[in-house]
Amino acid sequence: MNWEQQLELQAWVDGELSAGDARRVSAFADAHADARALVTELRMAKAFIAPNEFEVKVPDTREFYWSQVQRRIESAESVRETSPALSWPFVWRRLVSPLSGVALVAFLAVVSFNTFRGPAIEDGSRHMVEVENLSDDVGSISYRSQSENMFVVYLYKKDQDNEAQAEPMDDSFFQ
Amino acid sequence: MSHSLFSRRTARCLLALLLLTGSTVESFAANLRLEAKLIWGTNDEKSPDPAHKEVDAATKEKLRNVFKWKNYFAVNRVTKPVPSRGSNHFKLSDECTIEIKELEGPTVEVKLIGKGKEVHKTTLTISKGQSVVYSGDDKNQSAWFVVITELGEK
Repeated sequence: MNWEQQLELQAWVDGELSAGDARRVSAFADAHADARALVTELRMAKAFIAPNEFEVKVPDTREFYWSQVQRRIESAESVRETSPALSWPFVWRRLVSPLSGVALVAFLAVVSFNTFRGPAIEDGSRHMVEVENLSDDVGSISYRSQSENMFVVYLYKKDQDNEAQAEPMDDSFFQ
Repeated sequence: MSHSLFSRRTARCLLALLLLTGSTVESFAANLRLEAKLIWGTNDEKSPDPAHKEVDAATKEKLRNVFKWKNYFAVNRVTKPVPSRGSNHFKLSDECTIEIKELEGPTVEVKLIGKGKEVHKTTLTISKGQSVVYSGDDKNQSAWFVVITELGEK
């Protein structure tokens, strides 16, 4: 007797088979002695266990019990529906947070712009001037007029060098 | 929910930072707009060349406060942009050309080219309204001037 046949015998004992299957299994049990012995044991076990099986009963009626379950489901759904409604402070905070971030970045950009550009001009680099004569025949004299915001480079031929040095610049070229 | 909100905020801040950085870089890399004028200075009342026109009153006053000549006549005027980290040539006459190169920071390199030869180079910080003036003696107690002025960023 194989495993399937044993299961069919158990199902027959528990009354779970259809009428046709029950007749077939009954005939099988009658024909085989080991099957009959198994059926006898199964019936004895069933007779022993069934009266002692633990049964849990809900103290409330069926309608009252399920109405409570339904009420709890509905209350949970209503809480879920009301939660997305945002309060004004929350909405305001949601708008202000990114704006404050952008304002901070803008502030830092302006500060860094003034730090790296403005004061650097005022402090020293503004007055840094490099002059270079690229011709051997030409000399130069440079002059800055603060009042007129002007940087002047006076060029002269080298053969005028002695003359230029002999005469003060104020008399020869500049006011 | 808070995680997605944080992600959106972060994305917005990064976008704003990106835009701001782009605009800041743009402002640093803006082109210069420069004007170069060739001017003739004399004590005569009129220029022998009728094409020469007297410079505007402000320029005349400015030059008079520094130089000894009474009258100043505009020979030529060229206004051009100088691209960031680039250069441009200002041809003021057949013999006189100015090459201006924009360097890092608000610094420019001004090169005077006479008769095709590089004569002089000045590297300095230039700001709006400031002038760089090249000058030299000319015939009959007169003088020539090349006045370079920054007109602002383009």
